[in-house]
Parts: sequence; C-alpha cells; structure tokens
Amino acid sequence: MAMKKKRYALVIDSRKCLNCKACVVACKAENKVPVGHFRNRINEERKGEYPTLSINFEPEQCHHCDEPSCVRVCPTGASWQRKDGIVLVNYDECIGCRYCMIACPYDARYFNEEEGVVDKCTFCVQRVDKGEVPACVETCPSKVRVFGDLEDPKSRIRELLATRRYKVKEPQTGNGPQLYYLL
Amino acid sequence: MGTIRMDRRLFLKTAGATAGAVAATQVGCFKYFKKGRSTAADAKEIPTTCELCPNKCSAIAVVEGGFIRKLNPNPENPKSRDMLCARGNAAVMQVYDPDRIKQPMIRVGARGEGKWKPVSWDEAFDYAAKKLAEIKQKYGPEGTLWSSTEGFQEKFFVNLGQAFGSPNIVRHPTLCLASVNLAYGTTFGTVPSFDMLNSKYVIMSGANRFESIITPDTMDLIGSVMERKAKLVYLDPRFTVTAAKADEWYPIKPGSDLAFILAMLNVIIAEKRYHKDFVETYTLGFDQLAEHVKQYTPEWAEKETEIPAKDIIRIAREFADAGTRALYYSGRRSSWYENDFQMRRAQAILNTIVGNWDQMGGMVPNASLPKGEFLFMPWDDPKASRVDEVKTNFPLAAASDGVYLKLRENVLSGKPYPIKGWMVYKQDPMNALPDQGKTLKMIEDMDFIGVIDLQMSDMAWYADVVFPESAYLERTDPVEVMPGIWPAVVYRQQVVKPIHDTKPNLEIVQGLAKRLGLSDYFDYTIDQWVEAEFKDLPIPMAAEHMKKHGVWAATGEAHYGKTLTPDHRFVTKSGKIEIFSERLQENGYDPLPVYTQIAQPPADRFRLILGRVGYFTHANQSNNVWLHEFMPENDLWINPAPAARLGIKNGEYVNVASSVGSVRIKARVTEEIRPDCVFMLHGFGKKSKMQSLVYNVGASDAVILETAWDKVSGNAAFHGTFVKVSNA
Amino acid sequence: MHETNWGLLIVVYLFLGGLSAGLFFASGLANYLKVDDKPAYARVARMGALLAPWPVAIGSGLLILDLGNWYRFYKLFMHFRWESPMSIGSWLLTVFTVIAFLYLYSWLKEDERTWIFSKIPASWKLVHRLNVDISSWRETLGMIGFPFSIGVGIYTGVLLGAVSSRPFWNTNLVAQMFLFSALSSGAAALLLAMVLDKKNPIEKHETKFLVTLDVVFISLELFIILPYLIHGELSTQAVKQALDLILGGPFTFIFWGPFLFLGLLVPLAIEVYELFPAIFKGREFHGSRNLALAAASLVLIGGFLLRYIFVYAGQMSSFHSKMGLLQ
Repeated sequence: MAMKKKRYALVIDSRKCLNCKACVVACKAENKVPVGHFRNRINEERKGEYPTLSINFEPEQCHHCDEPSCVRVCPTGASWQRKDGIVLVNYDECIGCRYCMIACPYDARYFNEEEGVVDKCTFCVQRVDKGEVPACVETCPSKVRVFGDLEDPKSRIRELLATRRYKVKEPQTGNGPQLYYLL
Repeated sequence: MGTIRMDRRLFLKTAGATAGAVAATQVGCFKYFKKGRSTAADAKEIPTTCELCPNKCSAIAVVEGGFIRKLNPNPENPKSRDMLCARGNAAVMQVYDPDRIKQPMIRVGARGEGKWKPVSWDEAFDYAAKKLAEIKQKYGPEGTLWSSTEGFQEKFFVNLGQAFGSPNIVRHPTLCLASVNLAYGTTFGTVPSFDMLNSKYVIMSGANRFESIITPDTMDLIGSVMERKAKLVYLDPRFTVTAAKADEWYPIKPGSDLAFILAMLNVIIAEKRYHKDFVETYTLGFDQLAEHVKQYTPEWAEKETEIPAKDIIRIAREFADAGTRALYYSGRRSSWYENDFQMRRAQAILNTIVGNWDQMGGMVPNASLPKGEFLFMPWDDPKASRVDEVKTNFPLAAASDGVYLKLRENVLSGKPYPIKGWMVYKQDPMNALPDQGKTLKMIEDMDFIGVIDLQMSDMAWYADVVFPESAYLERTDPVEVMPGIWPAVVYRQQVVKPIHDTKPNLEIVQGLAKRLGLSDYFDYTIDQWVEAEFKDLPIPMAAEHMKKHGVWAATGEAHYGKTLTPDHRFVTKSGKIEIFSERLQENGYDPLPVYTQIAQPPADRFRLILGRVGYFTHANQSNNVWLHEFMPENDLWINPAPAARLGIKNGEYVNVASSVGSVRIKARVTEEIRPDCVFMLHGFGKKSKMQSLVYNVGASDAVILETAWDKVSGNAAFHGTFVKVSNA
Repeated sequence: MHETNWGLLIVVYLFLGGLSAGLFFASGLANYLKVDDKPAYARVARMGALLAPWPVAIGSGLLILDLGNWYRFYKLFMHFRWESPMSIGSWLLTVFTVIAFLYLYSWLKEDERTWIFSKIPASWKLVHRLNVDISSWRETLGMIGFPFSIGVGIYTGVLLGAVSSRPFWNTNLVAQMFLFSALSSGAAALLLAMVLDKKNPIEKHETKFLVTLDVVFISLELFIILPYLIHGELSTQAVKQALDLILGGPFTFIFWGPFLFLGLLVPLAIEVYELFPAIFKGREFHGSRNLALAAASLVLIGGFLLRYIFVYAGQMSSFHSKMGLLQ
C-alpha cells in the first residue's frame, strides 16, 4: 500500500489567544521539557497610551520549515526532517554544538544542559504518529491552533488557508515556514 | 628520507584498544538517554476530574511506568469544552511538588516559627482530638470554628464540624460571590447561568473572563466575540486581556457600575425598548422601577462613571435592541464594594426587562441531574447559635456559609462567645482574608489550630497540627453533579496511589472522628459512598460508565424556556421575578437599587484593586514550578503619570502602605490601569518557608487590604482600600 | 534579546584558528620567497612553522569542551555535509592541523628531534621509527598547506556568514574580513615572537618582511570593513538594525575604539611610519624593536576583538524587532 505524502503544518488564529499559557504547560508535560526552557511561547505586543491601548498575543514555536536552516547547518545530521515535514533532533547524534540554535530565524530551539543536546517543538510527533494532535492544539481554551496535513484536500487547515488571509513570519529568509498566522 | 613502516599486528591492537575506549564512552551516553525517553507501551489512561480550581474540568490522566506524565482534556464534558488550562496541565507538578507536605506534622516551637516534628497519623489524630475535646469541655462545641473551601470532599469536613456540635461552619462564599448569588437569587429565586455561547451583545463589569477562567463562559465568550461576531462592552479600571479583546472598553470609575446600569435602565425604559410582554407576564414591580430610575439620567451617570453620556445612551439602545440575546454578565468574584449587592441586583433587573430570562443567548436557569445519596447517621443540630450572628446581622445571607469577615470580628472581640479552636480544610485564611494582621491576632487567640491541606500554606505554617491531604490524582471522591445549561455528572477516581504518607480528607475526618467518639457518623468508605451515588444517576450502567469516561453529559442540547409557562412559579415571595423586592424591604434594605457613591481615594493615594491571571488559582498555585515560571514575582501596576510624579521607575521596588499594613513590591509602570488605581496579584510574599518559590518573594495583598463588607450579603469588599505608594 | 549560545570559548577558538592559519601562511610565504635559490627568510619560516599548529590545536580542544556532549566530537568525522559550514570546517581544520604538525616537524633540527624522542621510552620502538628527517618535504608541505590555511581563515567567517537569520553576519564580506584579520594576526604574532626571541634577535630585513605583510593585510581588512558598513547602512531594515549595534548600540565603543582605532588604524599607522622612509625616500627601514612590539600586540588584540564583537553582536541581531519572548 503506497503511503500518501503528508505535510504537517499549523494554522494559528492569534486573535483568539488569551495568553493563558495552557499550551506552554501542556507541551512541558507532554514532552518533559526542563524547567527554565520552553518549546513554545506566546509573543506579546503592547502598545498605546492610556486609554487608547492594545495588547496582541501571538503563539510561536518551531515552524518546521520547508527548507530548515537548522537541518542545513547541522554538522552531524542530528537535526533532520521527516518526509511529512516534521523537523526533529536525533538526541543520540547531537553533539551540542548549538549551531542550529544560532541558525534558526525564530529562536525556536533551546539547549538542554542536562543532556547536552539541543531540543525544540516536535509537533508532538509521538502523538501525531498515533493519529492525535499536538498537546498545544488539544488543550487550548480558544482552540487557537489548527493542526493538519496540507496534502489532505479535506483537512481543516486547507480549508482555512483557502478561505482566509494569512501570513508567515520572516518569509524573507527563504526557509518556507509552516506556521500560518490568520489575519 | 625514511619511510614509516608499521607493524600490522600492532596497528590492529592499537585500533582495537581505541575502538574499545570509544565504545565504553558510548555506553555511558546511553545511560543519559534512558531517562526521559520512556516508551508509551505501558501507558494507561484514566479519566478523572481536575481540582486545581473550582471549574472541575474533566481530564484524562496518562500514566506511564507508575508516573503521571500528562493530563489531556476530556471532550465528553460540555462544561470544560475539551480544554485543559495551564493549571490543569500543571497538576502533574502538584503531585510531584518537592514542597508538598509528605506526612503529618506537629509544631514544636512558636506558631509561625516553622519548627515541625514529623509524626504518625495516630499521634496527629490523638493530639488534635485531645485539644478539640479540651476546648469542647471548657467552651462547648461552639468554641470551635470549622472553615473550609469548596471541594468534592469538603462535605466530610463540614459534617465533622456539625457532628462535633459546632454551629460555626464558615465557607468561602463571603470572600467571593455571595453578593452576586444573593442578588440574582433574590430577584429570580435561583442563580442562572449565562448562555455566552449564543449571546449577541454582552456587557461585563469587571469579570475578566479571559484571564479568570470560568468554564464554559470563557471559551464561549471568545467564540462569541471572535467567531460569531457578538459585541462585547467591557468596564474595568484595568486594561486586561478581556479589555484587549472587547469591542469597547471603558476605564470606568471604580464603584460606579451601578450608576451605569441605572442610566441604562433609564434610557431603555424612557425609550420603551424593554420587552413589554415578558415584563407584564413574569415580573413584579416594573412601574416602581420606571419611576425610580427617572432620576438616573445618562448625563448624571457620566459624572459618576466618567463614561460619556452619549456612549451610555448608545450602548443602552444597542443592548435593548439585541433583545433576548443581550446579556449583562453577572460576574463571579463580586467581593468589590460595600454596595455590591445592589449593583448586582440592578444587573439582574436590567437583564429582566430585556426579557433574556430562559432564552437562547440569555440567562438560563440551571438544569440539574439527580444522583443517589449515601444515607449516613444524622446528628443533632448544634445547640448554640452561630458566632457571627448571621441571622440577625445578615438575615438574607446563606447562614450555612457564614459571613467570614463578621465572624472574624466577633472572634477577635470574644463576643458573643469565645472561639478557641480552629480547624481549616483546603483554605488559606492568611491570604484569603484581608488585613492579615487581624488574622494573625485571631491565630494568636486560638488554643488549637489544625489544618488539612496539600501544601504548607501560610495558614498551615501557623497551625499546631498539619494533616496532609492526598492530591486529587491520588484519591477517589464523591460524585459531583454540575448543574448548568448543559448539566453533567463528573467523577474523580484515583489515578496513582499516594506517593507520600497522605490521606484523603474522608480518612482524615474518620481518624479524628474515631477519637472524638463520632465514628458512627462516618462509618463508611468512599467506595460505599460513591456506589450509593451511582445508583440513582440517570445513566445506564452508571458505575462502569463513570469509571470508564469520568463524565456523563445529559445531552448536547440546551433547553430554553422551560420556566416560561404562565403557571410557572418562581421561588420568590410573589412567585414572580421580583424587580421590586418586598423581601428586601421587609429586612430594611432598599427594594430597588439606590445609588450611593463609594468613597474615593484622596489625591495622594491610590485605590488598590484585585484580579486574577489564567495560570494561577488565587493564592495557592504560585508555588507550582511549572506555573511559577510565568511569574516569578508579583508586581504593582501603576500608571506612568502618577509614577512619574512620585519618581517611581519600572522594575524598582516601592512601599505600598494602607491603614493596616505595608508591603514592599516591584513596580510595573504601565498604561494599562487608571491613574487613580494600583493593582497586584496575590499568592506571593508568603511566610511559609515550605512554599520555597514564593517564600518572601513579592508581596501579599492580604497584609494591606482593609476589612469591609457588603451590608446585605456580608460579602467581603476588597476594593475599598486606599494605599500610599513611595519609592522603597 | 536572546541568550548567547556561543560565548567566549567560541570567540577564542575563532581567533586561535585564524591565528594558526595566518602563522602557517606567513611561514609558507617566508619559505617560498627565495634569494639566490635559498629561502630569504628562513628563520621567519622556521619560527612560523614551530608556532603554527599550537593555537588551532588548543582552540580545537576548547571547542570540543564547549560541546554539549564533548565525547561525541568524533561524530563530526562520521559525516561530511556540504551545506554545513561546521561540517566542512571540522574536516578542514583537522587536515590543516595535521599538515601544520608535519610542517613543524619538517623544520625541527636534528638535536631537537633527538631531545623529543629522548622523552619517549625506548621500548616504544614503533614511535621511535618516526624519528626521521623530513626537511626536504618543507616546500611541498608548505604548498599543500597554503590552500588549507586560506580555507581555515575563510571558513571561520563562512561559519557566521552563512547564517541567514543573523543580519549582522549574513553578508558576503564576513569571510574575507575574517581571512585578512587572520592573516594579519598571524604576521603580527610571528613578528611578536621573533622580536621577543632574545636568543636569536630579529634582523631588520625580517622585521620589514613581516611588517609589510601586516600592512598589506590590515589594509585589505579595512577595504572589507568599509563596504560592510556602507552597504549595510544602505541595505534592508533588518541589516540596518543589526548595524545599529555598532552604530550607537552596546557595541559601538568597543568597535570604533579598541577594535578599529587601536586594533587596526594605530598599528597600521605605526607600520606605515616604519616603512615610510624605505618606500618613499629610499632610505633605511626604521626597524624599531619597540614599535614593532607595540604594533604587533595591538593587531593581536584587534583580531581577538573582531571575533568577540561579531560573535556577540551577531547573536543579538535577529529579525524580531518588536515582538518579545515569554513574558
């Protein structure tokens, strides 16, 4: 049976994000992220002068790019990408040189001092391979993130990308990031 | 020029030795990676109900190798709507918190000194029972106070106090929502839920739903506003996350929400935009209301609220025109001002005249579900009357909950009679009550203090005996019915065995009961209790279902209009919705809300206001390491204009002083607050060294808040404290 | 703001790597230039050869220690990935170091070799078999090593320059900047070593050779820095914001003062002053010992500071301008 090609991605509706941190803690629990490090974060933008003010929240994590800089610069190939687009770290091959951390335009990676390797969001690959969605997607009160397969024409993310305007972050790098932010 | 020749055998030997050395280091590496990369092969999924806040969301615990690894949302619970917030996810670290109380402890040394002797349960029970018996002997059973906060096992603690013979059970509602509940109860005979899912126009006074998470209100409101294009008007002296998402935000002058609502009533009635049929059929007192609100013009309200009259008029019109799908949200923590009850009454009345009662998108009376009851041996009613004299001082308040701050005043004065013993369950009065100095004095006056808690709260730190309760993931609890628009039944079952020497509350109560001669009243196990509850649940194979799913929802559908029948009798004196309340009048209160100005701070002081964030629950989650990461220390919000005048810079420490105390806290100079207010979170500045992340870090608002309460409900008034802020 | 992932250890390594490259280059060149069929600057070549491998060897040791799991460094040699400057670099560096050590060995005198092997137990027959004279390999080794030394000098720049997400680095000029800095540091270090060698005092023509070399390289470096700044300021906002770090930002003083002025312009001035009479007036080269010392030291400091500024400022530069990290 031929495996259909998959390409996982996230569509994010930042307007709904409440900065409640549920996704950050869910990820921490699901992926045993050490205290002091995070695989995802909520960027904040606060502007204005009283009483004309605004606050905007924007969740972000590894963008699992089409042309990931981190994979390109890794000297041992520990940083690698699956056919379905998920970028992973092979913890046995990583020597901890941290070049990938410097190469990432999104500051998506962190250094796990205890294990001496670099780590980051994996789209909860252990869940995805069981047919579930990443922890950050599932736990959210506002359901800000939508996870799916871009190659599946019936997927919700395809529907959203077809009917809504969106942007990606830092497209000028040419990395082809796969986190789509609805406008 | 020579050539280098090498003996082949020697080469191989050297190569082999090198390879061996390298292999040895590789084995060392493997050890590093064994931990933390466990296989999911032995994973179990056990559904249960979260206890990190009062929302009681359904969660599915994933257990691997005997450890709780993760909690996932349970999509079958209509109230939690398939989500689990930051605290729910952090429950893992509540169980594995290194600061948890790991066994019973008895104080050696002075109260608050922090010298503890770990003891056996027998020793702890014997000691506590002995002291309680002594107090009973000298002061009667009413000489003991039993204070607790809601929880599935709370009833056992309350029952113990009552079986002991004390009338002095005090709970948390008068530190929280007593005023809003009483106001809506007085009007409708019941407290409804709010159908945010289907509302078209929502006005909220405070009620920062996008940070103070209430299910399903928070999720439904974000859905309404963001997806279903409902309009949200939000009044708050702070620019909170809710303000950021709202369509309109007004930095309303604190304490003037009642003026805003009265003016809205004025406009809607004057312009005849109210729901005539509904008002005529189901309500009482409209005419008096119409006459009463004539004086409360939008122009007058503008002066009180600092919201432009034209906006008040426009909002009133928009609100009324949204008809039955307009909602003035009641809010939840209503412990604001001394006139809070009347403000919530005005809300209820406003909701009434637009006819949103029992309608889609409006206020919907809660549907409930039956469950069985375990019949245990009843005890006699306590002989003495309550020490807080609720019936005389607060005739309409819920006597069984008590009025906490009045109670404290009486206890401190020793009148009507002394209280010498204090048992506390799942509560931290040191941080939950204002004016910590008074709480400390109350503690000082006690002959005995016993605390049942998971962690060494500040209250536990000052206790004589500490009984560690098992975390919710370590125990099975009574079944709980959650009434609402989409009622559900939830179950909490043990996910892992207690990892320390802790007990569920029932067993702690039984241990005490045994030594107090009250065993007969607690002669059952939790399993027996739960079995009895399962029996009458309207679920086929209830026990199996609850154990397998953790939750049962009656239906995905909401039912509206059940009470909108001509012969429906509301649980009020008149049988109708009471816009004008005779009951209030009879008890000497305003039958219709009368506006009174609250005191404003003098020019050199600020009003201290309170609020919450989505990753802490009140004062008790700040020590959870996964949550603490988001706010290592609390700070004081202050507007840049007054900050500049006082020479206060962002990030520097300031002294905040009220008439009852002073604290030192970091300043957050921000545009996001009115210039006449300052704001701080609580849960910091702890005195307990066993809350190591927040011990002496930041400041506790309890130290500086002054004591005040709403006249009608006795609900605490937390926003009336004026503080002086200066550079530290 | 990001935490710095690469710190002082990397700065030192980049400096030492470049230093070895420059030393080897200078030594190779000194050996190549002939007068009457004999090397014109044999002593310079020898000193350079003896010094060349050590900085990069130490630097590589430091680098291995900086790894998250240092004992896994060997994995670098189990892969060759064209697209990873670090992968190419580790191979390049290793081959260069081996050549540099061989080159050093080829310059050892008989008695020096004997002294070394006297420290090795006589029973290690295999090792003693290596006690051979390979002085005839000098030129060949020098020529083989040339491209590798250039490679090492360039690669330290490519390592940074290839990172598209750091606007401070991502220019075509960084590789050359680091190369010329490396070559000038090498010449300066060699000059320093020879001036300080009391046993074999440096001769004027040798000083002149090294000073000339240094002047050429510093000038080339300046010709790279100038367009780096000008082009950068005329480039996209991200690049301009990155350059703000040295044009008003936290690295401004250290860039213009200690690095550009003290590390490049002052030694250049000193060296031009020294050469001035020889070039323009046909008179004797000054050859002042103290001035040579001063100029060489400043160049070395400047070389170190260049790496320091680039590694640290570069990590601060990114595309995130307003959006902050976790609260």
